[in-house]
This record gives sequence, C-alpha cells and structure tokens, in this order.
Amino acid sequence: MSSYFDLTSGLWKWSSPVWLLVLSLVGLYIIFHHRALGKRIVFFAFAMFALALAYVSPIGVLSDGYLFSAHVIQHLILLLIVPLFLLLSLSESETEALFRHPFMNRLGSVMAVPFVGWLSGLGVMWFWHVPSFCNASTENYALGVFRDATFLLAGLAFWWPIFSPLKRFHLSSSLAVIYLFSACLGCTLLGIYITFTVISVCPAFANPVDRLGIMHFLYDQGMTPATDQRLGGLLMWVPPCSLYVCAIMVVLKRWYAEMDQLTSPQTAGTTSSLREAQS
Amino acid sequence: MTTGSVEQSELTSLEPPVTSTLLLDWVSTLDHKRIGIMYILTAVFYLAIGGFEALLMRIQLAFPNNTFLSPEMFNQLFTMHGTTMVFLVGMPVLTGFANYFVPLMVGARDVAFPRLNAFGFWMLFFGGLLLHFSFLTGSAPNAGWFSYVPLSSKAYSSLQGVDYWIIGLLIMGIGTVSGAINILATIICLRAPGMSLQRVPLFVWMMLMQAILIILALPALNSALAMLLIDRWLGSAFFDPTRGGSAVLWQHYFWIFGHPEVYILILPGFGMISEVIPVFSRKPIYGYTFVAASSVAIVLLGYGVWAHHMFAVGLGMYADIFFAVGSLLIAIPTGIKVFNWTATLWGGEINFNTALHFAVAFLLQFVIGGLTGIMFAAVPIDWQLTDTYFVVAHFHYVLIGGLVFALFSATYYWFPKMSGRMLNERLGILQFWLWVLGFNMTFMVQHFLGMMGMPRRVYTYADNPGWALLNGIASLGAVFMAVGTLVFLWNIGASLLRGKIAGDNPWDAFTLEWATTSPPPPENFTVIPEIKSRRPVWDMNHPENADWKTEKTPADRGIRPNLAKLAAWAFIASEAVFFLLLLIAYVIFNTRSGEGAVTSSVLDVTRTGIFSLFLISSSVTFWIAERFLRAGKQSAFVFSLGLTILLGITFLAGQVWEYAGLLTNDITINTNLFSATFFTVTGFHGIHVTAGVIALFVMLMMGIKGNLTADKSHVFGAVGVYWHFVDVVWLAVFGIIYLGLLQ
Amino acid sequence: MNSVIPVLDPASPQAEAINSLFLQVLLISAIIFAIVAGLILVAISRGRRKQTLPKQDFGSEKSEIYWLIGPVVIVIWLVAISANLVITLNAMPGADPDGKTDVSDIDLIVTGHQWWWEVKYPKSGVITANEIYIPADKKKKFRVQISSADVIHCFWVPQLGRKIDAIPGRDNYIWLQASEPGSYQGRCSEYCGAQHAWMNFKVYAVTDTEFDQWVASEQLANKQPKLLSPLANSGKQFFFQATCPQCHTIYGTPAEATIGPDLTHFARRKEIGAGVIENTPENLALWLKDPQALKPGCKMPDFKLSDEHLKQLVAYLETLK
Repeated sequence: MSSYFDLTSGLWKWSSPVWLLVLSLVGLYIIFHHRALGKRIVFFAFAMFALALAYVSPIGVLSDGYLFSAHVIQHLILLLIVPLFLLLSLSESETEALFRHPFMNRLGSVMAVPFVGWLSGLGVMWFWHVPSFCNASTENYALGVFRDATFLLAGLAFWWPIFSPLKRFHLSSSLAVIYLFSACLGCTLLGIYITFTVISVCPAFANPVDRLGIMHFLYDQGMTPATDQRLGGLLMWVPPCSLYVCAIMVVLKRWYAEMDQLTSPQTAGTTSSLREAQS
Repeated sequence: MTTGSVEQSELTSLEPPVTSTLLLDWVSTLDHKRIGIMYILTAVFYLAIGGFEALLMRIQLAFPNNTFLSPEMFNQLFTMHGTTMVFLVGMPVLTGFANYFVPLMVGARDVAFPRLNAFGFWMLFFGGLLLHFSFLTGSAPNAGWFSYVPLSSKAYSSLQGVDYWIIGLLIMGIGTVSGAINILATIICLRAPGMSLQRVPLFVWMMLMQAILIILALPALNSALAMLLIDRWLGSAFFDPTRGGSAVLWQHYFWIFGHPEVYILILPGFGMISEVIPVFSRKPIYGYTFVAASSVAIVLLGYGVWAHHMFAVGLGMYADIFFAVGSLLIAIPTGIKVFNWTATLWGGEINFNTALHFAVAFLLQFVIGGLTGIMFAAVPIDWQLTDTYFVVAHFHYVLIGGLVFALFSATYYWFPKMSGRMLNERLGILQFWLWVLGFNMTFMVQHFLGMMGMPRRVYTYADNPGWALLNGIASLGAVFMAVGTLVFLWNIGASLLRGKIAGDNPWDAFTLEWATTSPPPPENFTVIPEIKSRRPVWDMNHPENADWKTEKTPADRGIRPNLAKLAAWAFIASEAVFFLLLLIAYVIFNTRSGEGAVTSSVLDVTRTGIFSLFLISSSVTFWIAERFLRAGKQSAFVFSLGLTILLGITFLAGQVWEYAGLLTNDITINTNLFSATFFTVTGFHGIHVTAGVIALFVMLMMGIKGNLTADKSHVFGAVGVYWHFVDVVWLAVFGIIYLGLLQ
Repeated sequence: MNSVIPVLDPASPQAEAINSLFLQVLLISAIIFAIVAGLILVAISRGRRKQTLPKQDFGSEKSEIYWLIGPVVIVIWLVAISANLVITLNAMPGADPDGKTDVSDIDLIVTGHQWWWEVKYPKSGVITANEIYIPADKKKKFRVQISSADVIHCFWVPQLGRKIDAIPGRDNYIWLQASEPGSYQGRCSEYCGAQHAWMNFKVYAVTDTEFDQWVASEQLANKQPKLLSPLANSGKQFFFQATCPQCHTIYGTPAEATIGPDLTHFARRKEIGAGVIENTPENLALWLKDPQALKPGCKMPDFKLSDEHLKQLVAYLETLK
C-alpha cells in the first residue's frame, strides 16, 4: 500500500481558490453576526469546514475528472450540507434586521414559495446530470464554477422554507413533510437512474485524463467507471434521503410543539387544502 | 375551499329502508360499523381457509418423504396461503377495524365516503372469490405469493392459475386503495371540533400512516401485475430474459410494494397495542410524539429498503450495503416504540386481563421477530438464512406473533364496544395459552430448521437427522393454534348470547369511542365530549386529573380541507406512482442500444407534438371553465368545458392515428421491448384521458342541466385535479419517450 | 461429514466469517431481548399489585433521547461489521483483494435447471451434474459463475458460505472453498416450481491429488469396457433407438443433447434425480420405470418401459463409469 501514501500529497489541493470564498464568507459573518452565540458559530464553522473540504480534500481533487462518486459527494456537500448549516448559523434577530428591508422581504417570500425551493433544489440535481451538461461542466472550468455556484444558491433556496432563521418564511408542517418527502423521491429516482442505467451519465468520468497517475490505483481498488457510477448513484440516493428524513423529524417535532401561538398564516389560501393532508 | 369549519358530509339520507330483509339490510348497508364488521367477518372466513391450507401443509411436512399432498397441490397451497393471509385476512381485518373505529375515535358520524366504502368492500369480496374460484378450475396459482418471474410467466406456468392471481389482486387492489383514501379523508376532514391532528388517538394516527402507505405502495404492485398480464396475454417480453426482458425488474417492483406492505400490516398492530397498553396500565402512552413521529420515520424509510428482500440476487456490494443501512435504520424508530410501550407499562396499575396478555405476548414476540429482522438486514447473515425456514419463522413472528396477537388483543378490548357484551375472561386466558404455546412451538423450531438447511417452500424433505422431530413439533403446534381458534370462536358466540353486559365504558378507557353507547347507535354520538387533550373521555371521567391541565397539546385550528379535492389528490398521488414505475420500466428497457423499432424509426415526433399541444391547451380551457363556474357564468362555463372535451378528443384522435400507423407497419406490443413499453405507457395514459373525457362529459351534462353550479365548484375542482394530472403525465411521457430525455 | 446444523458448522473461511457475525448478532439480540423481557415482566408483576392510580406520566424527551443512543450505536456497529464482510466476500471478477482480476478467470460454471444442477469446469472441460468436486484447501478459492437455464434458482451450500440466486439472463459469482475434505450438502433455496424440494447437490472437497485424478478421469470418455455384456449392449442399442439422446449427452457417442443431465459418467454419481435416491442399480431401475413416481412433475416422462428394456437400460447405464 505504499503507493497510497505517495499519492496522498497529490490528492490534496491546498491552493484551491475556494479559500477566497471561505474568507469572504467569514468576513461577512463577522460583520453581520458579530454577536452570534456558541451554537451558531459552531454551525458556521462546520459549514465553512465542509465547504473547504469539498475542494481541498481528495473529494475535490478526485471529483475533478476522476471519480463520479467523488463528484457526487462534492455536489451533495455544496447543495445540502453547506447551505443547511449556513442557514442554521444565522441568528433570528440579525437576519430579521436584514429582511426588514422591503426588497429583502420580498426575496424571502419568493424563496418561501415551496415550488421555488423544490424546483431549484431538485432542478440543479437533475439538470447537471443530463449527460451532456454533466460532461461539459466537468471539462470546462468556468462552467464548473458556475455549476458549483448554482449548487450553493439552489441549496439555500431549497432549505429556506424549512430552516430559514425567520419563522414567517417557514412552510406549514404538513406541506414541509410533503416537500421533503417528494424531494427524497426526486433524488431516489435520480439515484436509481444513475445506479442502474447502462449508459454513462457523465462520460468525462468514464475515460478520465490521468493527470496524477492514480488511475491504476483506483482501478485496482475496484473503482472501475461502472462501479464508480453505481456508487455515485447510491450516494445520490441514500445520504440525501436520510438527511431529508431527519429534517422531517425536526419538522414533526416543531409541529407537536405548536402550542397556542399559531404560526403565521402565510401559506393560507390555495395550499390550505393540503396543509393537514398526509402530515 | 372550505376551511375553518368542520364539515360533516351530506349523509342524512343513508338509513336503509325499513321494509328490507336482514340480509339485504347488510348487503346494501352504507353504515361504516356494519361494513367494518363485514370486513372483519370476510377476513375471518378467509382466515379459516388460509389456516386450513396451512394445516394441510403442516400435515404434509409432519413426516419426511410424506406423500399426503402432491407437490403440485402443496405449491398451490402455500401460494394461496400467503396470498390469502396477506390480501384477504391481514388487510381486510385491519380495514375492518379502521372502518369501525376510526370514525368513532375521531368523533365522526360516518366515514368520508360511505358509498365508496361499500364499493371497496365488495371489490375486495369479489376479488377474493375470483382468486379462490381458481381452485375449481383445477389450477390455483402456484408461483408463490410473490410470483417471481420467469416462473410465473407463460412459459413456466402455462395454466391460468397465475392469471386468476393477477386479476384477483388487481380487483382487490382497487378496493384496498379506495378504502385507504376513505380512511385518509375521514381522518383529515371529519375530526370532531377540538381534535387537532396532534391529538388523535395513536390507532387513528397509525391508520393514517397505513392509508398513506397503501396509496403510495399498492400502485407499484399494480404496475408489475399489469406488465406480467401483458406478458402472459399479449406476448410481450418485459420479464422474459431470452428476449431481453429482465427477471430482476419484477422483484424490484414487487418489493417496492412488498416491503411497505409489511408496514401496512404491522403499523395498525402498533396502533392497537398503543391503545390497549395505556388503558390497562391506567396511564397515558409514554412519549406520544415519539411513537407517532417514529411511525412517520418508518413510513418514509419503508419505501427505501425493498431490496433487502433481494440480497441473494447479487445486486452488487454497493447496493447490498446501502440497502442494509436503510434496513438497519428502521430498527431505530421501531426500538423507540418498544421502549415507549415498556415505559408505559412501567409503574402502571396493571389490569392483567386477556387483552393485556395478548398485548404483552405481542411485545415479546414482536421483539423476537424484529431482532431476527436485524439479522436479515446484516447482509452476510441474509446470504445464509434467506429463503430458508429461518425467514419463515422471522416473518411469522412479525405477522402472527405481532399482528395476529395485536388483533386478538384489540378484539378483547373492543368487543364490548361492538357488541355491548364482555368476552369471557377464562376462555380468553385458555385461548391465550393455547396460542402462545402453539405459536411458539410451530415457529420457534423453524429458526432451527432454517439453520439446519431446510429451504422454504419445499413440499417434502429427506430424513435428515433432527428434521422429522422439529417438523413434527411445528405441525403439532399448528394443532394447538387451531384449537385455540375454536375456543376463540366459541367465546365470541357464547358471549354474544349471554356475555356480561358491558356498559358504555367498561375499561375506564380514554378515547372517544367509549363516550357513546355499546354498541354505538347508527349516528354514533348524541353528544361529543369537549376535546382538549389526547384523552377526552379520561378528562370527562377524571376532571381532577384531566390531561389538559398538565400536558399541553396543540389546539385545533379547525382546518378541515375539502373532501372531494383531498380524495382527488390522494387518488392522483397513487396514479402518479403507477405511471412513474411504468416510465421507469420504459427508461430501463430503452437505454440499451435498440434493434428493430425504436422512437426515431417509427414515431412521428412532430405530429404527436402538435397533438400534445391540444391536450395541454385543454388544461388551460379547463382552468378557464373553472373560473367561469365560480363566477356563476353558466353558459361561458359550458362553452369552455365543451372546448376542453373537444381538445381532449382531438388528442385521443391523434393517439389513434399514431397507433394505426404502428399497427399497419406490423409493430405491435409483442414486437420488442420498445413497442411493449411504448404501448403500455401510452395505452394506460390513453385510458386515463378517455376516463377523464367521460368525467368531463358528465360534468358538461350536469352543467347544461343546471345541476353544476358555483357552490359545487369543488367537485368540478376535484375532476380538474385529475385532468391536469393526466396532462402532466403526458408531458413526462412526451419528454421521455418522444424526446428521448434520459437516454 | 454432513453436519446436523450446517449453518452453525462452517467449513470454509467465508462461512466461518459469516458464522461469527451471526453469533455476534445473536448475542446482541439475546441481550436486547433479555432486557426488554425483564423490564416488561417486572413492570407487570409490580403493577398487578398496585391498587392506586399511578402518576399520569406523559414521557420525557430527554430519556427518549438517551434511550436512542443504545440502538444507534448498535446499528452503526452492525453496519460497519456487515459492510466489511460484504466487501471481503465479493466475488465479482475485477474486484478481488487477492488480485484475481481476470474476468475470464472462472473455475466453475454452475447452471440451474428445473430441477437439477449442471456443473461445468471451463478450464478442463469437465461436465457433470449435481456433484461438484473441489480441492480442499484453505488458500485456494474457486470462483464460481452461477446462472440459470430457465427460472430463478438459488445455489446454497450452508457449510461453505453464502447462497446466491441463479438468474436467467444474468451471471452471478461466488467463492467456493472448503477448509477440510468432506462432502457438503447443497440445496436449491429459491422456489423454482414443482420439484423445488428435490434440487439438491453435493460438494465433495478432496485432496489436491484426488482432485487432479478426478479431473483426469472425468476428462476422458467413460471407461466403458470395449466389450459390453449382451444385456448392456442391447441396452445401448435401445438407448439410441429410444428418445434418450434427445435430452442427454454421453460423450463420444451421437447423444449430445443438453436438456437433461450429462450421462457420460453417470454410474459414478452417488445420487439420482438431484438427491431423490441413492444411485444403485435397483434404484436406477425404479427411477427409469417411472421417474414421475419418485419425482412428480420432473421433466423426464414415464416412458412405460417394458421390464426387458428396463433391465437392458440399467445394465448399459451402469457401464458409464
């Protein structure tokens, strides 16, 4: 296994430009949230750690043209983990101050429309796995950056109706359950498709350019392109769904604690027929 | 949309005519309690049949190399035993209890749709008859209750047994789904004022979960059955490996239904236990929210673990590991429940009567079944023990040790309410011990038989050391259970005639059904007590210890969605799963490079695209029609609805054109996998459009006669939900089949 | 050396690994069951004596969370150990820790038929049925390709480790290995039609030299004496006049069909009809007289042979050593 240790140095990419993003986010957080409390700071630190990890660690290096499964992990970190913890790291009062501005309030309300979050969350997942787009974004650097940016933004939009720091933007519980469950169904379908289809979803990974000279090592480990894609499909499927199930449990906990203060009726109207359905 | 008011449906004219005979009274009844009892009686009838089948099998297996039954007969018996017990005993008896008690427990006058309720029952009843009619044709289904292909395909099961199985299950499936929609709508829409969804009794909550499971899981079975039927009758090759079909796809589809089915059967059992244990411990359930929320987790996880039935298939190590993770995760919410039940008993004032005897036996036996379940989730253990008697023991511990014991417990608990008389306790305890002894004799030894290498579903075995003894014990245990059942039936009969009078609430129980007379009057309640907590009847009888004083629960906000629309949404959710699976089949079979007929060579994409526009615009005209109806502009409404129908028919004409072209080119459903999937998907869609057009036509006629007015717009809205759904499905079909996305 | 409880009596490294996992889970299960049962019984015996209204306890979130820790830890542990074993036992070509990466490196092809097993050694060309010979060796693993000619079957030798389905249109792979010489009972474990019960086979693990001898002797055409006895000779003639060659192969003769089991070395096999009866001349006569009586529904019809023909056929088949 000595070859593995020779390789490790190449598998880390400390010079990744992601540090710029991390630094600017930290700066923003300090400016706007300098009074944040312990738990939130931990969440924020975790979000930043995950963000850096997605690019600096072997996940980032291998997802750059080597392993489809690593690409899926990176994609899940950007779409689900980082935005989720970013939202959790925001305090209610500071965010409220920000969203008091009419434009921001409008933006918050638009993002609270379930269709918007659902479609952007699931949309980027599906869109970037149409073979031609997946391939193009892996081969073209600028497009790759654009793709990753859409992941982060779509992730924020996706989690906003559930974990927004401001309660008025939350979906009603039953709708939130349906929202998360159908999202789980969406990534299950994508996962099944990627796992069981015989075509190569992202041909760039099927015949990679071996920049680091690790191809043989990967193949010896059993990570042939077909296996790699199957593993990627399963990663697309099980971890997000587990996360969604956990989120549903959080929503239910909130629902059972909904004592006298009734949540703001911002989802009344057309959605109320579904409000209690299937909750 | 009706919000803010509790809506009791228009049920006033449902009393049967006075002159009718008793039998006609029952056959034509729409009363949820009577339909519930008919469900239960049907289940008992089939239980007798399924049990008799089991006894015959146990006689055959009591001795090595026995020739009591021919292999052919044995194979028919275990197939019918499994199918009967799952579809004609387990599901109906639960639907029966739900029918009887859900409206009572939520304080409703009846179920949401009494006519649909009767329809569901009779579908089930006749589906069951049809299935069993196959015995008279000389060839009952014999491919096992999960009818794995290719064994169940025409090439290996040429007799019509499997056809009876498919048709019977499809018909019963219609009944089951309609029953589930009914229960769902009852719970969501007909709760008494004050009963927020966070306050429903756990049995009601579990039935809600079960309804959701049925609505979303059964269509998976239906899609698989439809494909198998098309294979068998029209010669397509979905499941024929020699012509490119897949033998594994059936297993996936069957278990996507089949695993949730396990929870369909056991969740109501959990619900019953969660009612019985608190009442006889004289305490509330410990951790209501955890019991309720963990069921949600089970429902959700339950959809993602089907392939743990397929570890021996060789799906590859990644799939195996991931499904193992999912399956093991389910152990956590299940463990929470066991903890809560134990904690409820802990420190309680225990009334250790027959009902609680059965409940405690349930707990212990279910834990055994659950723990062996964990063994099967650990993949390598499954590789040794699956498809042996160990797995037979495992699922019987869950389904008999769990579900059947819960049912007995519930029967002893609720019989006084249903009949007005108590069951005999001494006979009850006698039955209990006969069952505990018999059950554990039969199924405990089967764990060992599995480890000794005895595969399931063998009609006989060689005289290996120990096998005869253990099989003998198992067969003897079956006799105990049979005798116990006779004691039970005797107890029911005798108690109906001269049992102790029960009174309204013999157990000092907690939930609403105990606030009315035993048996309840046709209208269920004269007065519904005030509901301020999860135990309204307890609060009523123990005002000094009332729950709402100490334990706050979310108050009722009075939101009751419209019945018709809710039912329509539930129905299309079910339909969506059906189409989804057919489309997945299309994608799976058409991603390989095709030979012969494929989209690009035989379909006219542009022409169908134009016809698709007609269908899509019909959604727009429908939407306009709905607005006109609500605005009271009757003639504009009729015009735009008529236009909708015309557009729909134009689309259908386009489909007929497409089909005619294919058929004249000799491309039929059995040409290749492309044609099979194409005709199946578009054919089912066409049927749905046709049904939609007919529904719209009915609406049009009502509109012309002036019967459909603004105040009934929600009915029209419900049809609209369906119509828009059909259009959305077409968009998916067009994208995937015609435009070849995902390929 | 057929064990009474074969699952608990492993005879190969992989079966041992599975067995120790099984025992571990069994132990955990027993402890969980004992705790739950103990708590319930104590609660009941205490509660039965109680005469006062108990405290109305609605539960506590905290204790539920504490209670969760145990199951979560156990689940994580179980996932880890079973996933580890799944990876170790993987026999797919191209994913072998020992470096056996060549896809064509298959030692044995076993094909399920309704209701018998066809056994092929692709490297030596040996073909037989319902009997598998392997060298008993702790280090040497056979990669076995499992497939099916008709419906789904399942290949299972409890003492030697995992089972795997034989699925038409799909090839599966497992390792077959035995630590000690002996005979190991195998069975079909997936319901496959009328005679699923009699679809047994045996794995004979022998020493390396015995194995080589066996292969050598199986490779040859059968060691039929040049001069058959008159009875056997007329049996041979009858065999080829009747419909026998339409289903069976006897190497070196015009009989080359592969619908039924290969009969080239039939007389050396130990059982008839995939385990229905022992292979003795008397039993063979019983079988030929009416296979449907011994194995109802099997694919070999009742030919209603006369006693004369029966004797001749038995005599001939007994020469196929």
